[in-house]
Amino acid sequence: MTGFRITDGIDRGTAFQFTCDGEAVTAYPGESIAAALMAAGHRRTRVSARSQMSRGLYCGMGVCWECIMVVDGKPAVRACMTPAEPGMKVQTQHGVGPGDGA
Amino acid sequence: MRETDLVIVGAGAAGLSAASEAAKHGLSVTVLDDNLLPGGQYFRRLPTSYRHTKETVFDKERARADALYATTGQKGVTYLNDAVVWEAPEDGVLAFARGADSGRIRAKLTIIASGAHDRPAPFPGWTLPGVVTAGGLQNLLKGQRVIPGRRAVVAGNGPLVLLVGATLARAGAELREVVEAAPILKRLAGSIADLLAMPKIVRQAADYRLAIMKSGAKLRTGWTVIEARGANELEEVVLAPIDEAGKVNRSRSRTVKADLLVVGFGLMPSIEMVRLMDCKLEWKPLRGGWVPVRGANFETSRPGVLAVGDGAGIGGVEMALREGKLAGVIAAERLGKLSRDQAASLKAPIQSEIAKVETFRRGLERLYAMPPAFLDLLTPETIVCRCEDVTAGELRARQDAGFGSTAALKGTTRTTMGRCQGRNCLRTLLALIAQASGQPIDQVMMPRPRLPARLVTIGDLLQEELPPIEMPKDPHLPRGEQVS
Ligand SMILES: Cc1cc2nc3c(=O)[nH]c(=O)nc-3n(C[C@H](O)[C@H](O)[C@H](O)COP(=O)(O)OP(=O)(O)OC[C@H]3O[C@@H](n4cnc5c(N)ncnc54)[C@H](O)[C@@H]3O)c2cc1C
Ligand code: FES
Repeated sequence: MTGFRITDGIDRGTAFQFTCDGEAVTAYPGESIAAALMAAGHRRTRVSARSQMSRGLYCGMGVCWECIMVVDGKPAVRACMTPAEPGMKVQTQHGVGPGDGA
Repeated sequence: MRETDLVIVGAGAAGLSAASEAAKHGLSVTVLDDNLLPGGQYFRRLPTSYRHTKETVFDKERARADALYATTGQKGVTYLNDAVVWEAPEDGVLAFARGADSGRIRAKLTIIASGAHDRPAPFPGWTLPGVVTAGGLQNLLKGQRVIPGRRAVVAGNGPLVLLVGATLARAGAELREVVEAAPILKRLAGSIADLLAMPKIVRQAADYRLAIMKSGAKLRTGWTVIEARGANELEEVVLAPIDEAGKVNRSRSRTVKADLLVVGFGLMPSIEMVRLMDCKLEWKPLRGGWVPVRGANFETSRPGVLAVGDGAGIGGVEMALREGKLAGVIAAERLGKLSRDQAASLKAPIQSEIAKVETFRRGLERLYAMPPAFLDLLTPETIVCRCEDVTAGELRARQDAGFGSTAALKGTTRTTMGRCQGRNCLRTLLALIAQASGQPIDQVMMPRPRLPARLVTIGDLLQEELPPIEMPKDPHLPRGEQVS
C-alpha cells in the first residue's frame, strides 16, 4: 500500500536520497520530508507518548503536529513543513524522541 | 524595531491581494507568513525548482497564482516568509519568530488574513496514519503533487468533498467512494438560484462530479464515515447513511477496503491572533464557528486592526481575494493615500462582486447545512485530543464526576494543552460540555487565549534584540525607584 507522485507535467529535477529509520528514501529538491515518505509508502511519522498509537500526516499545513519526526537528531520537526535534504537522517518519533526504534 | 505603514499577517489569497492593492497606492506594506513559500492554502506553491513541462488539469489556476506570488516582489512590499507571528505586545506592534531575524514590527494599520484549518471531526480510528484532512490532501497535491495513498475513500460535508474526489480521480488513485453527509441532490433545486451568482463555480462542481463518476467510484449523498480501522495504518473504512437530523443508520453500514481516507467536515477560521488582540468574537456556525466581529470597513473591535479572508469567517477563495483587495483600498484611504471619492470609486466594483459571492455562499450554506451530530460517533476509546492522547471516555468520566467546566477538563486531562494548541480538540471539547450542560455551544466558556499564537522555539525568541533592561540599584526595590 503506497502513495505516489504525479509525474505528468512536472520535471522535479535530480533525485537524491535520505534515510528514514535507516532505510533509503528518494526525494527531490524542495520536496517535503512528508511528501517523500508518503510516496515511498512510509506513513507512520510518530508513535504517541501516552498510548503508543501510530500517527501520520493529518492536516498537511503545519498546525496539527501529528507528523513530527526526529530529523538529524532534532525531535519534533514537522515533516509536512520541512524540505528533505540529501543525506538527512530521519527517524520515527517515539513519544518525545527517537526511542529505541522499535 | 521594523516600521511599516501596513502590516499583514498571512500571505494567502486575502493577504497578498491586500498587500498588492495597498502598495499600488503608495503604502509601505510588510507581509508576514509562516510558510516557506507565498500563496497560503488555496494558492500553495510547488517547490520553485520544479518545472512545468505542460499544462495539466491541476494547473488551471496558474495565472492567478503567479500574479499573487509576484506581489512579494512588488515595489513597496516587504514579504517575510517563515515568520511566525506569535504575539501582539502593544497597540500597533506584532512580534514574530524568524530565526536570527526574529523581532517586532510597528505599523499604522494591521490586517489579519490568517486563513483557516480543517474542522476536527472525531470518529473511531480518525487518528490512524492514512486518514488525512481534505485541506491536507489538497495541499499535498498543490504543493508537492503527491497523493498519500492509493485506494481512496472521501467523506465529509461541504464543497471540498467533491473537489477532493475529483482530485483523486484525476490523479489516478483507485477512488472507491465519495460520501457527502448532506442530501445535496435533494436540496439542489432550493439553492440553485443563489448558487448561479457564481456560474463558474457551479460549472466546476459539475466537472468534479463528472470526474468522480467517470472513475467508477460511488458518489453517495446522505452518507458519512463512522469508523476507520486498521492495526497500525488505515485498512478499512465503515460508511453509513445519515439523515437530515444527523442520525446515523448503522444497520445499513458498509465496509470498504482503503489505505487512504480523506475527511473534510468544513473549515474553521484561525482566530488565534484576533483572540490575543482581544478582538470581540461572535458565533457564526455557517462561517466556521467563532469569528471576529467586524464593522463596515473590516475593522475589528480593536481600532486599527482589520480582519479579512477565511480568518474572518469562511468565505472561500473568491471571497478572500476580493476582501483582501477591498482592505487594501480601505488601508490606503485611511492612511491618506486616496481621497474619499477616489476610494469610493475603487470600492464600488469590488463591493458588488462581494455581494455576488455572498449570494453564492447563502446558496452553498443551505445546500450543505448539517446538524452537529459528531458526538454520537464517539466511543469511550475515541481520541478527542490527539496531542495528549485524551479519549472521549476520559472526558465524559470527568464530566460525570463534576469536573465539567472548560478549565477543569483542561486542567485535569491536558486537553487543548498540546502542540496543536487546541486546533484539533477545542471544538469537540466545547461540544461535549454543551451537550452535558445543556448550554448552547456559544455559551460555553472558551479557555483564555495564551501565548504564543502559534508555536515558536525559545531559541528563536532569544534571537530577538530587545532594549536593555534597566536594573534597579537595589534589587529589592520596584523597578525605577532609586535608593535615596
Ligand atoms: C489546508 C487547506 C487547503 C485548502 N485547499 C483548498 C482548495 O484546494 N480549494 C478551495 O477552493 N479551497 C481550499 N481551501 C479553502 C481556503 O482556505 C481558501 O479558499 C483560501 O485559501 C483562503 O485564503 P486566505 O488568504 O483567507 O487564507 P490562507 O490561504 O489560508 O492564508 C493564510 C496564511 O496566513 C498564515 N498565517 C496564519 N496565522 C499566522 C501567524 N500567526 N503567523 C504567520 N503566518 C500566519 C497561514 O499559514 C497562511 O499561509 C483550503 C483550506 C485549507 C485549510
Ligand atoms: S501534518 Fe499537521 S503539522 Fe504536519
